[in-house]
Amino acid sequence: MSDIVEAKGLTKVYRRGREEIHALRDVDFIVKKGEFASIIGPSGSGKTALLNVLGCLDTPTRGSLRINGIETCGLREHDLVKLRRDNIGFVFQQFYLMPTLTARENIELPLLFSHKNGKGAGIDGILEMVGLSDRGNHLPGQLSGGEMQRVAIGRALINDPKIVLADEPTGNLDSATSHMIFKLFEELNRQGMTLIIVTHNLDLARKAHKMYTLKDGQIEGCEDCSPNTDMMC
Amino acid sequence: MNFLTLAAKNLTRRRGRTGLTIIGVAIAISVLFSLLALNSGYEKELNKEVNSMGVHILAVPKGCPYEAASLIIHGGVIPKYLSATDLDNVTRIPDVELATPMLMHQFMKKDEKTGKSTPHIIYGIKMEDMLQLKPWWKVEGRFLEDNETRVMLVGRDLADKENLSVGQVLPVGPAKEDFTIVGILERTGDQDDQFHFFPLEEAQRVFGKEGKITTIAVKVREVSRISDVSEEMEKVPDIQVVTMTQIMGTIMNLAGSARSLLLTVIAIALIISAFGIINTLLMSVNERTREFGMMKAIGASGSDIGKMVLMETVFITISGGIIGTLAALVGSSLIESFVKGMLPYSPAGSLISFSPELVGFSLAFSLFMGLVCGIYPAFLSSRLSPMEAIRGGME
Ligand SMILES: Nc1ncnc2c1ncn2[C@@H]1O[C@H](COP(=O)(O)OP(=O)(O)O)[C@@H](O)[C@H]1O
Ligand SMILES: [Mg+2]
Repeated sequence: MSDIVEAKGLTKVYRRGREEIHALRDVDFIVKKGEFASIIGPSGSGKTALLNVLGCLDTPTRGSLRINGIETCGLREHDLVKLRRDNIGFVFQQFYLMPTLTARENIELPLLFSHKNGKGAGIDGILEMVGLSDRGNHLPGQLSGGEMQRVAIGRALINDPKIVLADEPTGNLDSATSHMIFKLFEELNRQGMTLIIVTHNLDLARKAHKMYTLKDGQIEGCEDCSPNTDMMC
Repeated sequence: MNFLTLAAKNLTRRRGRTGLTIIGVAIAISVLFSLLALNSGYEKELNKEVNSMGVHILAVPKGCPYEAASLIIHGGVIPKYLSATDLDNVTRIPDVELATPMLMHQFMKKDEKTGKSTPHIIYGIKMEDMLQLKPWWKVEGRFLEDNETRVMLVGRDLADKENLSVGQVLPVGPAKEDFTIVGILERTGDQDDQFHFFPLEEAQRVFGKEGKITTIAVKVREVSRISDVSEEMEKVPDIQVVTMTQIMGTIMNLAGSARSLLLTVIAIALIISAFGIINTLLMSVNERTREFGMMKAIGASGSDIGKMVLMETVFITISGGIIGTLAALVGSSLIESFVKGMLPYSPAGSLISFSPELVGFSLAFSLFMGLVCGIYPAFLSSRLSPMEAIRGGME
């Protein structure tokens, strides 16, 4: 299997006034195509920082990052936008749906930016996949938290990304709903989608193939969670 | 879905605020629109009235002993003369539509009954020019021909007073030549009713003033050019300029200062509304930082976001522009009566002149306003870092 995310020596330093905050320290991180990786770690350990860098929303201070074989270091903003658009789907803890758009329109939104408007059939397929076929015309305000997150996942999928990154996607959901959402992620993964998911919930994190533990900006451990194995990777 | 729908839907999120902003723009645009309409209407009407005076400027010889105004109103003998060269110089001034030479001659005539002498005035004129200056002239009988001899026209009042009729013959000049009255002017209501009119060359011949002119009457192409043209005329050495539109000119000046007041009002209204728009936009952009971050995370570029914000702005200003223009169209009569009460002089006709161009201008202006006001907020939001959204996830 080919490596779809290939990060070497990622370092991210934030500056807050004179203070330097090392959010990531020399992180190596590889995710293969079709893999399901989860990241856990205490608050402030750099999970979001890592996901942002992996998703090309933020540039690392040092290190190199290849997405789908493309070196992202030194790419201009314009090319980063294109790289994100073509390769990466994002899911956020707080859904970030547009309140004035229906579920269907929210899912369609990325098409507006990728100029692939009019992929109607794709939208229906995605609505079905996330289990919202009968909710397409509802506004976010009329949906439950779990349904909103499904819309957000649908939105992440519409541009046919290579990887989906999710930052605490169940952080705002109750446990039953969280499990449903993870079922959806597992289903996506079965269909071949590469997933990197940050979560606080150890049970859910173990549903991934590999679970990475982040602490103080460093990867402290990696647990292989595949059903038959129980060892460090 | 396209950007326009997205922008429109974004605006429905804060209906109250969007509505108020649109109203603000509508007010500014309706002020702009109605004041411009008023301005062009006022100018049009004033132009019409001044034009109906025919002659805009009179040139008389310098050092003329009579007071200019009285000269115009009552006529008078001018002991000095202008020449063909002066006429040429005047004709050559740009924006002079017509400059016609006239010779004024005055003589005293004793009234047979009372024994009193009264002054009579003869004008030597170029008939064709005169009819161009005073197209309202009508005649009983016929007008003069420029190359005719021993003919005259008389004014209605004069004809009544002296019991003159068409075909009658009068002795004229030192040699008491016989002149036939070929026409009597219909009443004009002004001093023309008192005068005799001869073909110019005939007048010059009879009174021994060959080639001499006492007055040059000038019509200017456009009323607004009167003062410029009369300034040019002052530069001709022999000429003293009397504008028939001195009074009108004063009015134009007053209207001019009224107009600059109007323009100030327009400018202030527009600036206030522009700041209102910018403020609203900055607020709404600020509120949506995370949303914009999200959009970037799902594939929007900075310019996509900027475009969306700009469209929201243009949506607001165009809506405001349409509403404002409609309101001005509906409310114009109100505004008109209000403004008529304010102006120092207002022509009789309708002051407000709406043209499709003006409607087009108003709408184009509201578009322009949207672009100008939207640029800064759009620029700010296009530069937002996409991290904002995801960072928001933790806090
Ligand atoms: N934009 C930023 N400016 C300054 N410090 C930041 C910024 N983003 C993250 N940090 C810091 O980097 C560290 C890692 O943050 P983060 O990745 O959000 O942690 P996590 O998501 O694991 O809770 C924290 O100490 C945080 O305060
Ligand atoms: Mg985080």
